[in-house]
Amino acid sequence: MFDVMPTLLFAQLADRVPGVFFGLPLLALASLVFAATRHEDPAAIGLATVHWAVWLGGILGVVLAAVLLFGCFA
Amino acid sequence: MEIRGKRPRAGWSFQAARRCRRLRASVVHGPWVVSVGRQDSAPPRFVAISPDDGSTIDLRNPALAAVLSWLVPGLGQLYQRRTTKGGLFMGGLLTALIVGLWLGDGRVVYASWRPGETRLAFLGQAGIGAVAVPAVLQSLRLAGPARQTYFASGWFAPPLNQGQFVSAAYAERVLATEPSLERKAFADRPPFKQCTIDQLSVWHERLGRSFDIGTLYTVLAGMLNLLVVYDAWAGPLRETPDAKSKQAKKQAGEASGEQTTDGAAGGGQPAATQT
Repeated sequence: MFDVMPTLLFAQLADRVPGVFFGLPLLALASLVFAATRHEDPAAIGLATVHWAVWLGGILGVVLAAVLLFGCFA
Repeated sequence: MEIRGKRPRAGWSFQAARRCRRLRASVVHGPWVVSVGRQDSAPPRFVAISPDDGSTIDLRNPALAAVLSWLVPGLGQLYQRRTTKGGLFMGGLLTALIVGLWLGDGRVVYASWRPGETRLAFLGQAGIGAVAVPAVLQSLRLAGPARQTYFASGWFAPPLNQGQFVSAAYAERVLATEPSLERKAFADRPPFKQCTIDQLSVWHERLGRSFDIGTLYTVLAGMLNLLVVYDAWAGPLRETPDAKSKQAKKQAGEASGEQTTDGAAGGGQPAATQT
């Protein structure tokens, strides 16, 4: 169903791009799902999505910073 | 189970008793508010309360909606005529799933419970039935007497181990879909063929990090779909009592602040507090 060549090209690209950038769409998706399961109104869902994105991004950012810090000392 | 309303007392008029029966016509049963109906023959309606405006959300058949959402993310919400949420869930989760499958060349979703090669990621991917069911079927058929899979492309099939026996037709199919494999990857063992390579290593070598990224995307899509299934079954998640009391205190504080301001200005209406 999917051609092999585009997949192989993306595989080469994936090795060059830092992995954290592949997590950003997942962060947005998780924020959207968390918000949408707590609200019904689209405007409320939008606001809650931003709220959750800030929270999740902040928590993951702290974890990433801690891992990088420990990696410097290791 | 909490029953709203009171029992009719002896001596009540017919009108009062009828009003009481209407009050008793809804019960809080688990996560739902079940409307029993004014007549005994009417089927119960499962509804949820919207946390935004307090309106009722008709959940129709919650169990069917949950199964539909498990099969395809958002389909249960569309069945309940909650089109905005259904579209959001379907668009977001299906996109993540399809992107993950594309990144992994269709190889990242498979079910394997062989000792030492248990696919733990499948536990997360099983949150979406549209890929979990084919993966289980493919794995069972490959391990069965047929020694081949249902789908011609080999999608959702577990990787072959070194020494594993497969049918000749499946071996030809694998050679056709894996450009890096040679004929010597399968040894003749009539009526079957024996695999001489570790197919999972071949996948990792060919796809590199995109195999792991595809796995991550599909696992997260499956795990988030569990929240979608709960939303289809029980409606929006309700706030905890602590959150509600904090919100009530905040609104009371704002109202008293407004009342103080209005009083200082020489006029104003009494503030309404939320209970």
